[in-house]
Amino acid sequence: MTEVTQRCRTAESAAGAVAEFFDRYRAHDVDGMTDLCSMNADFSYVPVELWGKQQVLRGDGKVRTVGKPLWGGLIASFPDLSLTVHTIAGNDEGDVVVQVDLEGTQERPWGLVSPAGRRYREPHLFIFHVGADLLIDSITAYWNDAGISRQLGHHEVD
Amino acid sequence: MTSSLVTGTPTQAAEVFLDAFARHDVEAAMAVVDPQVSVTVHPLGIDAQGADALRTVLADVVHAFPDLMITVARVITTGDVVTALFKAEGTQAADYAGAINTEKHLDIDQAWRFATADGLITEVAAYWCQAQLYRRLAVKRYDQIAIA
Repeated sequence: MTEVTQRCRTAESAAGAVAEFFDRYRAHDVDGMTDLCSMNADFSYVPVELWGKQQVLRGDGKVRTVGKPLWGGLIASFPDLSLTVHTIAGNDEGDVVVQVDLEGTQERPWGLVSPAGRRYREPHLFIFHVGADLLIDSITAYWNDAGISRQLGHHEVD
Repeated sequence: MTSSLVTGTPTQAAEVFLDAFARHDVEAAMAVVDPQVSVTVHPLGIDAQGADALRTVLADVVHAFPDLMITVARVITTGDVVTALFKAEGTQAADYAGAINTEKHLDIDQAWRFATADGLITEVAAYWCQAQLYRRLAVKRYDQIAIA
């Protein structure tokens, strides 16, 4: 008889899945980050919005179609991108809240910010939901994009 | 006034705070805040200790946006920590965060993380995007915030 071992979701195991996500982020393993998410995982980077004349583009959608390109683009623009997790806390319902600083030196354009070799470090708050299968099915993040722009020497409010 | 008799759960403390803030009742919000609260408001560059720092943050918002509306989307409790996701909306009626009053309407999604102990809020960390706020208040440059 084949014995199937399945980890059960607890606050600790949910937090562990998210900790692994940030370990892979620190290693610039975007495919690995994505692999920790369910196929249809939701994604929302709240500060991301680009105002056009007739519409506003937002950083909302799915991990695989919006999140993955954003992660890859950020790493390409900041090749030394790193992060420091300060707190990580979960509950038995699969919610995990993380305080994390992201930092890096700009080498390529990022959005409307031209590279000037400057470095940023900005606090972020991430809210995850981890499903019963221990895959991340929702990612939401908040930070102050003005702080990043100013540190990079970009003073226009785009 | 801060009451030492408050003995609610972490979730209750955060909800009392948010309900009072939504009613523009700053003192009722501060009633569930520890006098030595640690206050970090990242977009405003505030990293302070003590209830007065938080009281000022709340009072400034209520003063600048007298029709302030707080709509809570989610309250997430993880042990003694409560994280609230909400939208703040209002019409500017006074200078705020260096931006002169242009009577613009804003809506800003934000996340506030509350650490609690013994029914009181002991730490507050607030996250929102000041770029979004300035964009809505018609600020053009971060180095010339007062010039609209």
